[in-house]
Amino acid sequence: MNLLANLGFFDQNDEEHLAATIHGPSVYSDNPQERIQARRLRIAARQEARRREALGEYLDGKKESEEEQSKSYKQKEESRLKLTKLLLCGTELVTNIQVATDIREIHRRVEEEEVKRQRLEKLENEVKTSQDKFDEITAKWEEGRQKRIPQELWEMLNTQQLHCAGLIEDKNKLISELQQARGCSRRGELKIKDDQFVKDLKKQSDDISLLLERMEEQVKSVMKNFRQELMQIEKAFESERQELLSNNMKKWERALQGHNAKELEYLINRMKKVEDYEKQLNKQRVWDCEEYNTIKIKLERDIQILEQQLQQMKATYQLNQEKLEYNFQVLKKRDEESTVIKSQQKRKLNRLHDILNNLRTKYAKQIKQFQEENQTLTSDFKRLVGQFKELQKAMRHFAIIDAEKFREIWLMNEEEAKVLVQRAFDVDKVISSQHLGLPWKMPDFWFLKNVGPISMQQQKSATQILEELLLQTEEDETEETSEDESYMDLPKQVSAKTTKKILMLLCDESGFLIESKLLSLLLPLEKNECYLLRLDAIFSALGIESEDDLYKLVNFFLRYRSHRLSSIQYSTSTQTERTSLISTMERMSLLSQTDRKSLVSKSEVDSMVLPEDLPEDDNESLVSKELREESLASPKLIHPNDVLKILEAFVMGLKKPNLVLTQRAKLLMENDSLEEQNAEMQSLLQQYLQAKVNSELQIPPTQSFRMPTK
Amino acid sequence: MHDPPATSSHPGSRTSMYNVQRQHSGLGGVSSATQAAKTSPSHAPGHLKSKIPSNRRMRRIISEDAEWTLAIVPLLTELCIQHIVKNFQNNPILKQLLPQHQQKVLSHLPPDLPLTVTANLIDDENYWHRCCIKRWPVCHVAKHGGSWKRMFFERHLENLLKLFIPGTTDPNVILDLLPLCRNYVRRIQVDQFLPPVRLPTPPQGDEQSDSGSDGEGNEPEKDHYQLEALVAGLKHLEELDLVYGVKDCGMNFEWNLFLFTFRDCHSLAATIKACHTLKIFRLTRSKVDDDKARILIRSLLDHPALEELDLSHNLIGDRGARAAAKLLSHSRLRVLNLANNQLRAPGAQSLAHALAHNTNLVSLNLRLNCIEDEGGQAIAHALETNKCLTTLHLGGNELSEPTATVLSQVLPINTILTSLNLSCNHIGVDGGKQLLEGMSENKTILEFDLRLSDVSQESEYLIGQALHANREAARQRALNPGHFMTPITNNGPENSVA
Repeated sequence: MNLLANLGFFDQNDEEHLAATIHGPSVYSDNPQERIQARRLRIAARQEARRREALGEYLDGKKESEEEQSKSYKQKEESRLKLTKLLLCGTELVTNIQVATDIREIHRRVEEEEVKRQRLEKLENEVKTSQDKFDEITAKWEEGRQKRIPQELWEMLNTQQLHCAGLIEDKNKLISELQQARGCSRRGELKIKDDQFVKDLKKQSDDISLLLERMEEQVKSVMKNFRQELMQIEKAFESERQELLSNNMKKWERALQGHNAKELEYLINRMKKVEDYEKQLNKQRVWDCEEYNTIKIKLERDIQILEQQLQQMKATYQLNQEKLEYNFQVLKKRDEESTVIKSQQKRKLNRLHDILNNLRTKYAKQIKQFQEENQTLTSDFKRLVGQFKELQKAMRHFAIIDAEKFREIWLMNEEEAKVLVQRAFDVDKVISSQHLGLPWKMPDFWFLKNVGPISMQQQKSATQILEELLLQTEEDETEETSEDESYMDLPKQVSAKTTKKILMLLCDESGFLIESKLLSLLLPLEKNECYLLRLDAIFSALGIESEDDLYKLVNFFLRYRSHRLSSIQYSTSTQTERTSLISTMERMSLLSQTDRKSLVSKSEVDSMVLPEDLPEDDNESLVSKELREESLASPKLIHPNDVLKILEAFVMGLKKPNLVLTQRAKLLMENDSLEEQNAEMQSLLQQYLQAKVNSELQIPPTQSFRMPTK
Repeated sequence: MHDPPATSSHPGSRTSMYNVQRQHSGLGGVSSATQAAKTSPSHAPGHLKSKIPSNRRMRRIISEDAEWTLAIVPLLTELCIQHIVKNFQNNPILKQLLPQHQQKVLSHLPPDLPLTVTANLIDDENYWHRCCIKRWPVCHVAKHGGSWKRMFFERHLENLLKLFIPGTTDPNVILDLLPLCRNYVRRIQVDQFLPPVRLPTPPQGDEQSDSGSDGEGNEPEKDHYQLEALVAGLKHLEELDLVYGVKDCGMNFEWNLFLFTFRDCHSLAATIKACHTLKIFRLTRSKVDDDKARILIRSLLDHPALEELDLSHNLIGDRGARAAAKLLSHSRLRVLNLANNQLRAPGAQSLAHALAHNTNLVSLNLRLNCIEDEGGQAIAHALETNKCLTTLHLGGNELSEPTATVLSQVLPINTILTSLNLSCNHIGVDGGKQLLEGMSENKTILEFDLRLSDVSQESEYLIGQALHANREAARQRALNPGHFMTPITNNGPENSVA
C-alpha cells in the first residue's frame, strides 16, 4: 500500500513538474532571456538533486512524501490499525474465557491439592498415633507372657482388648470420618462436589454459550467494521479521485486555454498567411494569364509562320519535283550522250590501238634498222678509237716534248722576270727609303719563289679526295681554310659540306650502281667507311677517277639545281661536262638497248625528263654544246671537226626515233586525257545518281511538312 | 392414403425407432445397450436427415400425426446414458464413453451407489460432493485438502471406526474398505473408540470405585480396535488424530469406558512406527500416563516424517517429559503439544535442556502444567541459545517473578521467538516491570499474553505498545523485503524529473 501510495505521490509530483515545465520558462522559448532563465533553473535543480543525493537525504524526501501522503493512504492506515485493534480485542475477549477457565482450573487444582495434602497429613498423623498404640499393645503382649497369674493376665488381656478396641475404634473412626467425608458426599462433601460439578457443568455450558455468543458477535462486529472501513476507504478513494480529477480538470482546462490561445494565434497567423498567399496567388494568376496570352499569341504566330513555311516547303517541293524531272530528263539525255561518246571513244580506242600496233611494228623495224646502223657505227667507232689512241700516243709524245720546251722557256723567262722584278724592287727600295723615307720591305710574292710552270700540280685521285673530304667534314668546319688551301681548284661557292651532302645524296640515290654483293658486305661496316666504299664503287662505275672529275660532278649537280630552279638557265660551265658526257654516253648506250622508261635510274630520270620537257632544239643544243665544250676542254689530240661530224651524224640519226617517240608520247597523252574525261563523266554520273537530291526526292512530302516545325 | 412411397417409409422407420426404445427399456442388458450404442450412430442420424427435408416438402405427414414431434423423442445417446446410469451398479461403463457423455453419466449417478463400484472408478469431484452433501449436512472440504473424494473416504472411515465395537462388529467391515480408500485417505481423525461390549454385564455395584477396580482387573478384555492392519494398508496416511474415549455416553457413564490399555498402547506404538508417511500424530484426552507415553515416544524415535506430536490433555509426568525431550533430539519434530499434563519442574528442565540445542522445534505448548519457576527459568535460559522456536506457551504454570527476570534478560537476545504466552501465572507487578524492560529491547515478538498474571496495567499497556510497534515493523518487512531499496528507487524518478 505504501509503495502504491508512494507511486501515486510520485505521479503527482511528476505531473506538477510537468506543469511547471509547461508553464515555467521553457528552454525552447523564443525569448532569449527566458531561455537563459530556464537554463539557470535547470542547472539549479540539477545541483540540488546532486546535493541531495550526496547527503543521502532520501529520508527527508520520505518524510515529505509521508506528510503529503494521500487521504486514501491515511484512511487505509487508520482503518487497518482500527481493524487490527478490533481483531486483537475480539480475540482477547474470546480467549479471555479460556484463560478464565484455565485459572479457575488452576485454582481448583490448588485447592484440591491442599485438601489432598490435609487429608494425607491427617492420615499420616493417624498412622503415627495408631502405630504408637500398636507398639504399646505389642509391647504389652510381651509383658503379658511374663505374667503368671491368670487374674493379672486376664486383667491385662482385658486392657489389651480395650486397647485394641480403642485402636480399632480409632481406625473405624477415621474410616467413618473418611467415609463420612465420602458419605457426606451424599449429604456433605460429596454433595458439595456434586453440586460443584453440576455448577461447573452449568458454568462450562454458560462459558461455551458465551464463547459462541462472543465469537458470533466478534464475527458480526468484525464484518460490520470491515464493511464500514471498506466503505470509508472507498469514500476516501472516491474523494481523492474526485480531487485528483478536479485537479487534473483544472490543469487540463488551463492547458486547454493555453492551447486555445495558441490555436487562436496560429489561426490568425494562418489567416494572415492565407491572405498573403491569396494575394500572391492572384498576382501570380494575373501574371500567368498575361504570360499565357503572350505565349499563345507567340505560338499562333509561330503556327502561321510554320504554315507559311509549309506552303513554301510545298512550293519548293513542287519546284524540286519539276527540277528533278528536268534533271532526270537532262541526265537521260546525258546518258544517251555519254553512251554515244562511249561508243565513239571505243571506236577511237580501237583506231588508236591499230595505230599503236602499226607504230610498234614500225618501231621494231626501226630498232632493227638502228641496230644495224649501230653495228656499222660501232665498227666505225672502234676504228676511230684506234686512230684516236694512236693520235693520243703521238700527242703525248709531243706534249712531253712541248712541256719540256715550255719549261725551259718558262725558266728562262722567269729568270728574266725575276731579274726585272729585283731591279724594280731595288728601285722601289731606293725610292721609298731615300725619297719617301719609309722603311721598305721586300714584298713577298709567290711567283718570286716559283720555279717552273704554275699549272703543274699533281692531281689526286677521286677516292683520296673523298677520303679526305669525309674525314675533314667529320672533324670541323674551322679547317675549311686549310681545305681551301689544299683544294685550290675548288670553286669558292662549293663548300666541303655541300660536296659531302651531294656525295651522300649520290651515294643514297645511286645504289643501283653498286653490286648487291658489295652492299651485303658493306652492311656491317661503319657509316663513314660504308659511304666511302659505296662512293668508290659508284665512282668506279661512273668512271670518275681524278679530283677534278669529282668537283665537276659536284658542280654539275649544283648547276643543275640552279638550272632546275630557273628552268631556263642552263649551266654551261665546263665542270659539268664530264659527268654529263658520261651520263649522255651512258644514256645513249642504254637507249639503244632497252626500253627507256624501265631502265632509267632515279638519278637520271631527272636529267632524262629534262630533254623531254624541253624543246628538242634545246636538248640538242645542250648536248651539242656539251659535246662542243667537252671537245674544247679535252686535249686537242683529236681533231675537233671530225668528232663534230661524227656527233652531228649521231645526233641526226637520233632525231628520227625521237620524233616517233614524241609523237607516240603525244598520242599517249591524248589517250590519257580521254580516259580521264571518261572517268570524270562516269564519276559525274555517279554523283548524279548518288546525289542527296535523289534521296530527298524519295522522302515523302509528309516529312517535309514536319521539317519546318523543327 | 394416396401418399407417395416416401410417406409410407416414415412410419416404418418410426416404429423401428420405437422398437429400439422398447428394447432399451425392456431388456436393459449389457448387450442390448452396447448394441444400441453401436447401432445408434448408423441409424439415428439417417432418420433425422431424411425426416427434416421430407417434413418441409410434405406437410401432410404432420397433419396425420399431430402429437408426434422430434422434441418428444429423446436422443438415443440420451437413452443410452439413462440406461447406463440406471444399470451402473451392475455394469459400470464410464471410461469408454466420450468426455461429454461421461460428464452426463456422472451428473446423473445416484450418490448411494456401492463404494466397491464407485471408489476406484469415479474421480469426478462433483459426484463425491453430492455424496458428501447427502451424508453429512456440514462439510468443511477445506479441512480435507479441498478434495471431496478424500473427504468422503476419510469421514466414511472415521464413522466406521467410531462405531466399531471390538468383538461384535466384523473387522472385515473396515478391511474390505481398505482397497477402496487406500489411495485417498490421508488423515484418520477418530474421537471415540468404543470398548468391547460385555454381554453378561456384571451387576454394577453401587460403588463406582468397585467397577473402576474391576475394569482395571479386566483390562485385557477392554482393548479397542487395533489400527495396525488399517494403517499399514493406507499408503498416503499423514495424520492420525485419536481419542480413546466414548462420546455421548450420557448416564451410562463408567470409568472403564475411558481406558487406554497397555495393549492398545503397544499396538498403537507399533502402528505409528510402521507408518513412515505419518506427519502428525495426536493422541489427546486418552489418559496416557508416563509409561504409555514412554512406549509411544520410544516408537517414534527417529521417525522419518513426523513433524507434530500432540499429547495434550493426558496424564504425562516428568518421565514422559524426559522421553519427549529425548524425542526432540532424535526426530524432526516441529510442533510439540503437552498441554494440560502433569509436568513439573524436572520435566520442564529436561525439555529445556533438549530445547537449548534443538534446531527443528518451532512450537512448544506447556499450558496447564505445573513447571513452576525452576522449570520456567530453565526454559527461559534455553531460549538464549535456541534459534528456531517461535511459539512458546507457558500459560498456567505457576510461574512468578524469577522466571520473569530471566525472560527479561533473554528477550533482548532472542530474535526468533514471535509468540509468548504467560497468562494465568503469578508474575506480579515487579515481574511485569522487568518483562517490560526486556520487551522494550526486543523487536521480534508479536504476541505476548500476560492476562490474569498479576501484572500492573501500566506495564501491560506498555508491553502492548511495544508489541504493536513490532507488528508494524514485521508488516513493513513482509510488504517490501528490500526495505532499503525502496527509498532509492523512489528517489530515482525525482532525480530524473529534477
